[in-house]
Amino acid sequence: MTELPDSIKVFQRGWLSSNNVLLVGPDDTALIDTGYVSHAEQTLALVRHALGERPLDRILNSHLHSDHCGGNAILQAHYACHTAIPVAEADKVRRWDVEALSFKATGQRCDRFRFDSTLTCGEVLQLGGMEWQVLGAPGHDPSSVIFYCPQQRLLLSADALWENGFGVIFPELDGESGFAEAAATLDLIASLDVRLVVPGHGRPFTDVAGALARARTRLEYLSADPARNAQNALKVLLKFLLLERQRIALAEIPTLLLSMPVFEAANRNHLRQTPQELSEWVVSQLLRAGAARSEGEYLLNHEM
Amino acid sequence: MDQDRQYCLGCMRTIEEIIAWSKADDDYKRAVWAKLPERRASQPADAA
Repeated sequence: MTELPDSIKVFQRGWLSSNNVLLVGPDDTALIDTGYVSHAEQTLALVRHALGERPLDRILNSHLHSDHCGGNAILQAHYACHTAIPVAEADKVRRWDVEALSFKATGQRCDRFRFDSTLTCGEVLQLGGMEWQVLGAPGHDPSSVIFYCPQQRLLLSADALWENGFGVIFPELDGESGFAEAAATLDLIASLDVRLVVPGHGRPFTDVAGALARARTRLEYLSADPARNAQNALKVLLKFLLLERQRIALAEIPTLLLSMPVFEAANRNHLRQTPQELSEWVVSQLLRAGAARSEGEYLLNHEM
Repeated sequence: MDQDRQYCLGCMRTIEEIIAWSKADDDYKRAVWAKLPERRASQPADAA
């Protein structure tokens, strides 16, 4: 049970779609993060149900991964809402540069959307009748921001901090720096006065110190050997595709991996195995974790 | 959502239940959880 004012509604989704936070103030309404494209109609239904006759005025995205902005297009079509994205993503979205945006690299989908303004670290916004700080949170994604409401001592942590861990450190897959940034982001969160965290995935939680301690331990483990981050990414990416498609032919998996530029980079930089070898390894890992089951020629999604 | 647009096919919760979820107490969540197997069983096998 979490104590949130009536003006803040959290839609706790799953892993394919991020959580969404709806802020309903006297003067305006805003939604932070919009889920994955295959859930877009459900996201719209949730927002319409929660808002009733009121329009959605604004969308804000913590970062532009497909599970956080996949509902942008449908919401814009329905509400013509003002949309704000992290400033570093502006040119890519303006041109809809599929090579530079993350969707193609991860084998994921996102309907094209537009934006009206950008989010800059340190900016203060009035949303849903409260003051929110936009804070830079690189690590999982270099451009990611998180949202902090001092009045409520509430943090929307996106994929920078979950109750148990954080999102894949994507920059490191490409040989760029990400672990150090993720550590600095955890330090930033530790410096805030927070009573409740609404993460990008999973339930809201109050034990911030415990989550930070687990995240730091995990980050140390990953950064000690970057191949661990790459292996984790491989598992996460295949599980995501399995969540979306529910079943994938086992024979198709090596080709599927090769079709993802992020996999190619992770393999070149860290794993250095054949797609066939990695395919067999990642399937065995998902089966062992209970995240998938096999049926004949197919790998099937399995709810843990 | 399923064909009747009643349940999320991932979690078998209704729109009302997803909205109520983050502020719900454990009794509410347990009551919803108890209904899930029946809902899932009532879906066509290929619906997911």
